Amino acid sequence: MSIAITTQIICFSVLSLIILIGALGVVLLENIVYSAFLLGGVFMSVAGLYLLLNASFVAAAQVLVYVGAVNVLIIFAIMLVNKKEDLKPISDIKSRRIISTSICLTLLSLLIRVDLTNVWSLSSPQNSIGEESTIRIGEHLFSDYLLPFEVASVLLLMAMIGAIVLARRDVMTKDISTGLPVDQELIEKSSEPLLTNKN
Amino acid sequence: MPNDIFTINLNAQAIIPEAFILLGIVGTLLVDLAGEKTASKWAPIICYLSIGSSLFSLALQWSNPVESAFLGSFDSDNLAIAFRAIISLSTLVSLLISWRYTEQSGSPIGEFAAIVLSATLGAMLLCGSTDLISVFISLETLSVASYLLSGYLKRDPRSSEAALKYLLVGSAAAAVYLYGSSFLYGLSGSTNLATIGLEIINKPSFITSLALVFVLSTVAFKIAAVPFHQWTPDVYEGSPTPVVAFLSVGSKTAGFAFAIRILSTTFSSFDEEWKLLFTILAILSMALGNVVALAQTSMKRMLAYSSIGQAGFVMIGIVSGTQDGLSAAVLYLAAYLFMNLGAFSCVILFSLRTGSDRILDYSGLYQKDPLITLGLSLCLLSLGGLPPMLGFFGKIYLFFAGWANHQYLLVIVGLVTSVISIYYYISVIKMMVVKEPQEASEIVKSYPEINWGIVGLPPLRIALYTCVAVTALGGILSNPLFKLANTAVSETPFLQDIIATAKNIS
Repeated sequence: MSIAITTQIICFSVLSLIILIGALGVVLLENIVYSAFLLGGVFMSVAGLYLLLNASFVAAAQVLVYVGAVNVLIIFAIMLVNKKEDLKPISDIKSRRIISTSICLTLLSLLIRVDLTNVWSLSSPQNSIGEESTIRIGEHLFSDYLLPFEVASVLLLMAMIGAIVLARRDVMTKDISTGLPVDQELIEKSSEPLLTNKN
Repeated sequence: MPNDIFTINLNAQAIIPEAFILLGIVGTLLVDLAGEKTASKWAPIICYLSIGSSLFSLALQWSNPVESAFLGSFDSDNLAIAFRAIISLSTLVSLLISWRYTEQSGSPIGEFAAIVLSATLGAMLLCGSTDLISVFISLETLSVASYLLSGYLKRDPRSSEAALKYLLVGSAAAAVYLYGSSFLYGLSGSTNLATIGLEIINKPSFITSLALVFVLSTVAFKIAAVPFHQWTPDVYEGSPTPVVAFLSVGSKTAGFAFAIRILSTTFSSFDEEWKLLFTILAILSMALGNVVALAQTSMKRMLAYSSIGQAGFVMIGIVSGTQDGLSAAVLYLAAYLFMNLGAFSCVILFSLRTGSDRILDYSGLYQKDPLITLGLSLCLLSLGGLPPMLGFFGKIYLFFAGWANHQYLLVIVGLVTSVISIYYYISVIKMMVVKEPQEASEIVKSYPEINWGIVGLPPLRIALYTCVAVTALGGILSNPLFKLANTAVSETPFLQDIIATAKNIS
């Protein structure tokens, strides 16, 4: 057994162990902040697995998107709604647990079946480009996927502006051309109160 | 390899119209930096300029030889040009009727214009996209902008509710599209719509049908076809009315353009399957949209259900898939642009003056405001399809094309539901016209004096006059318009296969 393969096996087992323990911790721990950080660890280790598979671009994307954006977003959400509150015990917790366990087991068995029946080996070894993949993706982004790549910048710009407009607090109090007071609500006033208005 | 990249011919002139819209976005955002007052003065002008030059460059592209742009990401054929023109016109009219509304509700104008323009950009790109990835990105640009617009009046819980519902349902639809396109990519190894179409002919039919169903459900969500319509009434009721005007025309047109392109290139060998599915969608949309509209008390909700029904009519033309059917669909969408936006400009004017959109509050309106009464009556009659309005000719062409292609069931359902739709359109007109002065609603009795001088009302007036005039007199012009729509279809290369198949069947 060469040293490269030994290193790979050691890395793989360490990463898989972290993923398994981390994922169990995400589900089982009571404190949601611990779960969120453990989730970040799981995402990082998955990125490590991608690196082992020679998919460096996917690994980088995994770190950027899942750890950098999704996980940070989750932690933000936890911070914003961090209210001390004693949750009421759920009445029929047992039947719910049974249902969710069976759903998870079904999914697991489906995945195992796919794993066992699918032919995983590539038809020709030339198909695997390994380290070159990042270069190849870059070339595609600037040749045949140039249009979507550029339009994505418009999409992101617009999403950012929209988020700022929706989130900012400075509201106009009067109509800029007539000076009449405004309330930033629909011009058509509702004739009956909404459910959300009944305090 | 790097040297090749510099010698590639992108044919980037195909997206010059979109480039003008992009300039408009940047321009409105820059002007907005100078404060609300400056923005409310200059943003409209920048929007008119950018949409105007976009329309002009679209006209210059008409009937040019089609060359694939961006290495197979975008085609600027005549059909795409026609749909992009409809979309940018609908944006122009929606913006004309929106200035007063945005100011009166106290929301920033510059950002509003920029977001509407980016929705337009996404919709226009969607019309010409020939690649799964560029389809997805332009679809998302359109959708994200639409979510933002429907939640634009953030202090109103109805608007926030509309945005949240739209966001959740829309994201699910986008995910379904991605799932379907992952099947298509896996089957063919390509993201180009035409290449996929060639590759999947001999592939297992189960997975391709699954991909077809997934892609079709996204299309149906975008055009609000029953049973993918549940978001429509709530979103239309809660969104600012000018946004509803844009969603009901611009966004739907983009959905139809995408539907025609993907069905007739990628799924051209599955035309029996998708025609069956589209027939079901069309019948359900016409029946449910028009029947549920009968029971509505809010004008916006009624127009929402009527737009579901109208989408069903357009689908007749697409299902028939003939030269006449497709051109009738294009013509009907153009007619729908004017009659629906005309109706919306009347509804917006009424709610700006009274703050209400209940149908009951319109009673006795002709005493106080003959203009709204006349305009709304003409547009609603045209939506119902009464001669000699533009809508009548649009519907006639659709039904003729459907009948010639032996789509008897569709045409009969279309005729019956048209009659139903005439009932609820006319009951609004009856409400406005027939009531005696003492029967008028409280709101009409205390109707404010008509004042066109306020900033933002003159553009609305121009839009109203234009839309109503085109709706009322366009019937005379319907023959040249139909010829134009015919050219749009006959000079579009990718449609020729499907037209030929439809001809052989009938």
